[in-house]
Amino acid sequence: MTLATPDKETMDILLELGGEKLKICYQCGTCTGVCPWNLVRDFNVRKIVHQAQLGLVDFEDEDNWTCATCGACVKRCPRGGETIDVMKAIRKVVSEMGAGKVPDSLRISIKNIASLGNPQGEAPEKRADWAQGRDVKTFTPQTEWLYFPCCISAYDAKVKRMALATADILGKLGMDFGILGEKEKCCGESVRKAGGEETFQSLANTNIQTFTESGVKKVLVSSPHCYHTFKNEYPELGAEFEVVHTTQLWAQLLEEKKLNFSREVKKKVVYHDPCYLGRHNDIYDEPRRVLEAIPGVELIEFEDSKQNAICCGGGGGRIWMDTPKGERLCDWRLEQAIELGADVLAVACPYCMLNFDDSVLTLGKEDTIEIKDVSELVLEAI
Amino acid sequence: MDKKLGVYICGGCSIGDSLDLDKVSEVATKEYKVEICKTHPFLCGKEGAQLIAKDIEDGVNTVVIAACSPRAQQEIFSYDSGVVLERVNLREHVVWSHTPQDENTQMLAEDYLRMGLAKAQKVFPAEPYQEAIDKTILVVGGGISGMTSAVEAAKAGYEVCLVEKSPSLGGWMSKLYKQYPKHPPYQQLEDTGIEAKIKEVEGNPRIKVFTGAEIEKTSGAPGMFDVLVKQNGNQTSLRIGSIIQATGFRPYEANNLDHLGFGKYPDVITNFQMEELAQQGKIKRPSDGKEVESVAFIQCAGQRDENHLPYCSSFCCLTSLKQALYVTEKNTDASVYILYKDIRTPAQYEDFYKRVQEEQAVFFTKGEVEGISEGGGCLTVEVEDTLLGEKIGINADLVVLAVGIVPNSMPEEAKKATAEAESSGEKCEEAAERAADSGFYASPALQLKYRQGPELPTLKYGFPDSHFICFPYETRRTGIYSTGCVRQPEDSATCIDDATGAALKAIQCVEQSSKGMAVHPRTWDQTYPDLFMQRCTQCKRCTEECPFGMYDEDEKFNPLPNPTRCRRCAICMGSCPERIISFKDYSVDIISSMLKAVEVPEEDEEKPRVIAFLCENDAYPALDVAGINRLTYNPYVRVIPVRCLGSINIVWIADALSKGIDGIIMIGCNYGDDYQCHFIKGSELANYRMEKVQETLQRLVLESERIEVWQLSISEYDKLPKIFDDFLETIERVGPNPYKDF
Repeated sequence: MTLATPDKETMDILLELGGEKLKICYQCGTCTGVCPWNLVRDFNVRKIVHQAQLGLVDFEDEDNWTCATCGACVKRCPRGGETIDVMKAIRKVVSEMGAGKVPDSLRISIKNIASLGNPQGEAPEKRADWAQGRDVKTFTPQTEWLYFPCCISAYDAKVKRMALATADILGKLGMDFGILGEKEKCCGESVRKAGGEETFQSLANTNIQTFTESGVKKVLVSSPHCYHTFKNEYPELGAEFEVVHTTQLWAQLLEEKKLNFSREVKKKVVYHDPCYLGRHNDIYDEPRRVLEAIPGVELIEFEDSKQNAICCGGGGGRIWMDTPKGERLCDWRLEQAIELGADVLAVACPYCMLNFDDSVLTLGKEDTIEIKDVSELVLEAI
Repeated sequence: MDKKLGVYICGGCSIGDSLDLDKVSEVATKEYKVEICKTHPFLCGKEGAQLIAKDIEDGVNTVVIAACSPRAQQEIFSYDSGVVLERVNLREHVVWSHTPQDENTQMLAEDYLRMGLAKAQKVFPAEPYQEAIDKTILVVGGGISGMTSAVEAAKAGYEVCLVEKSPSLGGWMSKLYKQYPKHPPYQQLEDTGIEAKIKEVEGNPRIKVFTGAEIEKTSGAPGMFDVLVKQNGNQTSLRIGSIIQATGFRPYEANNLDHLGFGKYPDVITNFQMEELAQQGKIKRPSDGKEVESVAFIQCAGQRDENHLPYCSSFCCLTSLKQALYVTEKNTDASVYILYKDIRTPAQYEDFYKRVQEEQAVFFTKGEVEGISEGGGCLTVEVEDTLLGEKIGINADLVVLAVGIVPNSMPEEAKKATAEAESSGEKCEEAAERAADSGFYASPALQLKYRQGPELPTLKYGFPDSHFICFPYETRRTGIYSTGCVRQPEDSATCIDDATGAALKAIQCVEQSSKGMAVHPRTWDQTYPDLFMQRCTQCKRCTEECPFGMYDEDEKFNPLPNPTRCRRCAICMGSCPERIISFKDYSVDIISSMLKAVEVPEEDEEKPRVIAFLCENDAYPALDVAGINRLTYNPYVRVIPVRCLGSINIVWIADALSKGIDGIIMIGCNYGDDYQCHFIKGSELANYRMEKVQETLQRLVLESERIEVWQLSISEYDKLPKIFDDFLETIERVGPNPYKDF
């Protein structure tokens, strides 16, 4: 029997591709213990990291694509390990060096993004269609806010309610905002997590160039994924604009008394922290402040909330991949919300909304619970 | 000395509200005819303290204070050594743990005062044992520990003699290429610094160094040891106050590790051999001199393995981390594999572990080594990797076994256990297994002329028995302190701390001895055992049972006490069937008098009486804590504190039972492998002796349930009420002592 022997070359490549912190893992297993996947299926994070440490990665393994980059393990790692970087490095070796096979649906989505600027493969010129019938103007250098809807909230027939609610609120408050429509391209956040570094670089550079040329100073986003990459990754590539998530803006306007509620929304609402707003960017309080301010809303909490929130399963490129029924974190989370007796599961991320909408449908819970963006609830109360 | 008693009853801390203090006073004034008996509402206040001080000025020489626990307000209630003090615990043991204004509580308080008075009448001031004490400290072993102890003791102003067996000082540290970081930020390897330490020792005028020397004989006792040192065929006689044994360790015998290829493949070496290789420049493998490109370290080579060393040797993980850097620093292309069970890098050494992990060429994997083979010009280590779920193979030019250490005290043969087993016809191994201590004496180092044996008693892994929970430096020979790797496996930084501590203990010993005080743990105690030799029957119980080898013996088997070796536990007093061993404030007679002072109600009153002998070290303070927490228990128990459960003389049991006491409960410290007994063997001995009491009970036609022995640690105070209440239930079931109305 031939034994596997540690492969220094492979490990060096992984280190070079961004897994610098790979070495400091001491295999305590905390990551596996906190990984939400293990609520619905087996997923041994420690094993993958240790395989990477020894250069013994099986690049054909489908589990290389499982991590939703929710960051639960990163928050808890006693060594300050960056598990997500390790996953990213492995995926880069597969997608950019051809060491294994990229799952079909992911490959197609990334291809679509690279060619058309959106994962759905929709025409760029249709990007502004969601706003039809609304008075949403095109951004000019004189416009104060650029509203940047995520590809999903721009194109998805259901999720676009998120963008619509946002535009309606801005309109009602008389705020000066505009969109860039077909000039907008996918932010690339998930593309990067899925190992598509080159595509990400190209998307980011294009977006930065567009924004700069258009004179964008302040960007309002609905997606925590856009927020994350605009705020934390784009500046390294030369971006110089302010980025604000809708929940942050609503909270600020409330405080400034510019946003006032006049109608009651008598609902029991549970708020689901998006990983990229919460754990990745430490925004926990603003969405809650907004929800609490809505007359009639009874805000309840998940047992696992804020830092311990359970991922919907949509990050890290997972949103473009199939997850078998029975292994869907969003189903698990939805059940949790229903058990709490919530009328509304409030979200603040288009990925979460897409996933939960799907869960409601496939689990047949349409009469039990509604999925709403925080902005939708705000709009109802104005 | 004529006794002049003064009794002072405090009414504070709710004592006055709970008891009829006038009636309590009458115990002193009417029953015991004490002339001076005063009650004060706040005895520990300025006025109360002055009240007592004034009476002492006027001639009171025995003060009985009935107030709080003797553990409380010690600074206020402390007097000249000529004044006898007896504290009666009315607060924690009476009013805080029993129903106020109750007949039974009142009886309890009165009994405690009777017992205190009975004792006070028989206690006399200590007359300290004072001989000419030499304060020179002998250090045996010239490694990092021994040298540190020597330097620290000398710096504190003491003369030191340092004896080292080998021709030069330095020990194992001088054989190292480098040491792992000992200073923040714990990133870089350091020089060992051993040369500077040797110079410091050799340059210190207070330290007299004997290298190439051994101890031929050690006789005497702390403060007056006579040590014969042999050096180059010459003998030097030294007068020594206390001794530090820092005789170090030896590496575990790697020839026992043939399953890891040692002895079979020349390129399998030990971590100690790796130091030698590193000192020679480039690291070349022994078989053909090729510069190594890959090295595998096998951690726990023999350690934490029941077949080899069952314990962790504590430094080997760090040593391999350090040696990994030897490899990568000397050859930047080389790879290192560290195969471990668990990496153990305590405290700040974690930072060094992290630093080595970050080294790109160093791989770590947890796993069990299955085997090692040779082929293709290198060795292959087969690892059953517990984390990947599959076996992996590591190809290496050199395999380093991280072997552990064996203390140099490891006995060569089972002297004591063998002798015992032979006489009882038992198998030697079983005898060794049964004994809480190994039953072995350390291999030769000190050559003690003690009746009990020639070296320190050892524990099961060959380390000298020390009170590892509470008093780690103390061996079972007063004034002899073990330190460094002979005491426990430790790294050089810990050795340095440890050796400094041992130096302080050695100093404490000579200072205490010079004042005629016990060294440890009863550091205030100036009493010592007094033997009434006319009645000695040479039964040897005291000489055998003293855990500290205090007694030597003459040719007629008479015990010869060495008071400076004594810890004042009074285990000998408990052992003596002739009851000839006494202390000024603690004797068979004193406790018997206390027992007899307890009023035993007649049978039809249905008020049973139980005596509780509580160890002063844990059980008695635990009962105080129970009182502080207002835990309640039945009022029929009368507590008598004892220095150690081992000091309980069986005659007290007979005295109590014949007086009509219904039951006796004894509560001491945990014994066995993880013993907590301050006197190591006392609690265990008491348990053993009480088994023998069964015979006495049968002779008296009494039930064996009347006696219980318990083990309790101080933190288990909350268990005491139940222990007492359950025992009273047992007594009620068994019925009253038939001797009650005699």
